[in-house]
Amino acid sequence: MAEEYNLDTNIVLRRAWKRGKNLSKKSQWEIEVGDPEPDTLSLEAIGLKENSNTPYIIKRITSTALEWRIRNLSYPIEVYSVLADPDNKCIIVKTSNKKYYKKITVPDLERVNLVPDQKRIEYTYKFGTLIITYKKPPEVLKLERQVLEELQNVQTIKDGDLPCKPS
Amino acid sequence: MAAGTQVKNVEVRDIARIERIGAHSHIRGLGLDDSLEARAVSQGMVGQQMARRAAGVVLGMIKEGKIAGRAVLLAGPPGTGKTAIAMGISKSLGKDTPFTAMAGSEIYSLEMSKTEALTQAIRKSIGIRIKEETEIIEGEVVEIQVERPATGVGAKVGKLTLKTTEMETVYDLGTKMIDALTKEKVQSGDVITIDKATGKISRIGRSFTRARDYDATGPQTRFVQCPEGELQKRKEVVHTVSIHEIDVINSRTHGFLALFSGDTGEIKPEVREQINTKIAEWREEGKAEISPGVLFIDEVHMLDIECFSFLNRALEDEMAPVVIMATNRGITNIRGTNYTSPHGIPIDLLDRMIIISTSQYRESELREILKIRCEEEDCELSDDALTVLTRIAMETSLRYAIQLITLAGLVSRRRKSNEVEIEDVKKVYSLFLDEGRSTQILSEYQDQYLYDQKPDVGGSGEPMDL
Repeated sequence: MAEEYNLDTNIVLRRAWKRGKNLSKKSQWEIEVGDPEPDTLSLEAIGLKENSNTPYIIKRITSTALEWRIRNLSYPIEVYSVLADPDNKCIIVKTSNKKYYKKITVPDLERVNLVPDQKRIEYTYKFGTLIITYKKPPEVLKLERQVLEELQNVQTIKDGDLPCKPS
Repeated sequence: MAAGTQVKNVEVRDIARIERIGAHSHIRGLGLDDSLEARAVSQGMVGQQMARRAAGVVLGMIKEGKIAGRAVLLAGPPGTGKTAIAMGISKSLGKDTPFTAMAGSEIYSLEMSKTEALTQAIRKSIGIRIKEETEIIEGEVVEIQVERPATGVGAKVGKLTLKTTEMETVYDLGTKMIDALTKEKVQSGDVITIDKATGKISRIGRSFTRARDYDATGPQTRFVQCPEGELQKRKEVVHTVSIHEIDVINSRTHGFLALFSGDTGEIKPEVREQINTKIAEWREEGKAEISPGVLFIDEVHMLDIECFSFLNRALEDEMAPVVIMATNRGITNIRGTNYTSPHGIPIDLLDRMIIISTSQYRESELREILKIRCEEEDCELSDDALTVLTRIAMETSLRYAIQLITLAGLVSRRRKSNEVEIEDVKKVYSLFLDEGRSTQILSEYQDQYLYDQKPDVGGSGEPMDL
C-alpha cells in the first residue's frame, strides 16, 4: 500500500494497493483514493476499452467527508438515487433510466466495522458530475487522527537519500 | 391420381450425432449406490459385484486425495471387465481429477527411454488446481458497430454496447476484439462474457427479451435472463493443469507447441526439479493445490523388470498418483528376466499393491452386457437372437459376441429389417470365425499354409514333411 498526503492539510490525496498476485498475471496497482491510472493498454492488448464518454468514478477524502465524483454523467439530477445498502456494506448509485448503476464499497467504514448509513449521504449534480458526500462518522475521524500521528513520527526521506545502498 | 403419387419415405438421419462407438463407450460410472454397494445393472456396468465394490473403495481413496502413491492391480481372465472397471473409475472421478490411461507397451519407443515415458505418464496424472480471481464483463449485447476503412487496409474500429438490467456501457473495439466477435458470431441480443485479462469471449445464450425472434434461431439456442447489476464482476475461477503440461511448456527446446504435436521428447531432470520446487512454493503460498490423479496401465505384464523397479521407487514419492494396473496373465515370465512370477510382476511390487480380481461372467450377466452393447450400437435385437448370441458368448468369448452385434446389425439392414433375427446372427457366425474355430482350421489344414510348422516342433525353421 502506498499513500500520498498533502503536507499542508494532512489529507490523503492518493492511496493505492498492489493487488492481484496471481500465477498468470502481474500484480497491478488498485487505486482506492485519488485519480485512477489512465487505461492505455487494454485496447491494444485485448481490443476492448471503455468509451471515453463512459462514466467513471473518483474517490476523494476531505477533512470532514468521504467524497465520490462520478464524471461523464449527462442525465438530470432527478434520475439518480443514492442508497445505502448496509447488508452488502456498500452504497448503490442507480439511475431511473437504467443507464448507470454502481455499487461503491466503502473500505474506510469497513476498517472501523461500520456499515453505510443513509442519513449521512448527500449528493448534488453539477457540470456532468454527480458528487456524493458521506459525512465521516466519529470512529473514522478517530482512526485517521491515530494514523496521522503515527505517520508524523516517520522520518522523511529527501531526494537522493536512498534507504538502501545501490551497488 | 392418388395411386400415382406415392409418397417416398425419406430417411431422416440425425446429423448432429456423429460419434464413434468405442469398446467401452457404454460405461458411465462404476454403478455403485451411496453405500458403495454394487447395483446389478447400472451405469453400463454388469456383474463383477465384488470387484466393483473394491473399486468403489479405491475410488473413495482417490477422491479424498490425501493418499497418493498406492497401486491397485486388476487381475482376471480376458474379457472380464478389467478395463471397463478402470474406465468406470475414470468416469466417476469426473473431469477435475486427471486420469491417464496407457497400455504397457506404449513405453517402448525409440524417441525416449522407458523410464522417461513412465515419468511423463506419472506426471500427466498429477494435477494442480490454480485458483484465480478474474474480472469479467457480463452483459447483453445491445449493438455492435464496426467501421471498416474504405481502402480495405488499416485497422478496423468499432463500438460495442452492452447492458444489464440496471445499466448500459459503450466500449471501443480494437481489431482483435472485432475479429473475435465475428468469429463467435456475436449479434445483438446475445448474452456474452468477456474476460478482462485475456479478452476471451464466451457466449452464454440469447436474451429472453429476443425470444420472439424464434424463426431466426436454430434449435439449440439457449435462452437466458439478461444479467443483473453491474457489468463488471469479479469471479473466482479454478484451472486444473497437469504437471506434465507445465514441464513441457518450460522445457526450452520445445515450447508449448509440443503439447499439440505430442512430440515432447525427453525432458531434462533439471527442469523437472525446478518445477517441483516452484510447485512446492505455490502450494505454501496457497496459490495452488495438488490433486493426485490416477494412472492406469493396461496390459501391465508388458513392462519389463527395469520399469517395475522404477515404479517401486516412483510410488514412494509423495507426489505420486494412484496407479491402477490391469493384467490378464497368470504365473508367467517377468519380461526381461528368466524368472516367473504371478501376473508377470515381481513379488516386491506385488507386495505393495492391493489386488482386485475379476471372474468370468455368468450367462445372465453376458445377456445384460450384450443388451447394453446393442443399445449403444443402435441395434434392435430379437429375443431369440439375443439368446443365441449369449450362447456364442458363453462358448467362444464375449468380445467375439460383441463384434457380431455390429455385423449382424449390418446384415439385417441389408434385408431392410430393423430388427436382428436369428438368421442374421447365424449368417455372420458362419461368415466370421472366432478364435477357436480359426485355430481348428489351422490345425487341420496347416500343411497348405506357408512356413507351417507344428506347434510342438518349433525352432528348427525347416519345413516338416508329414
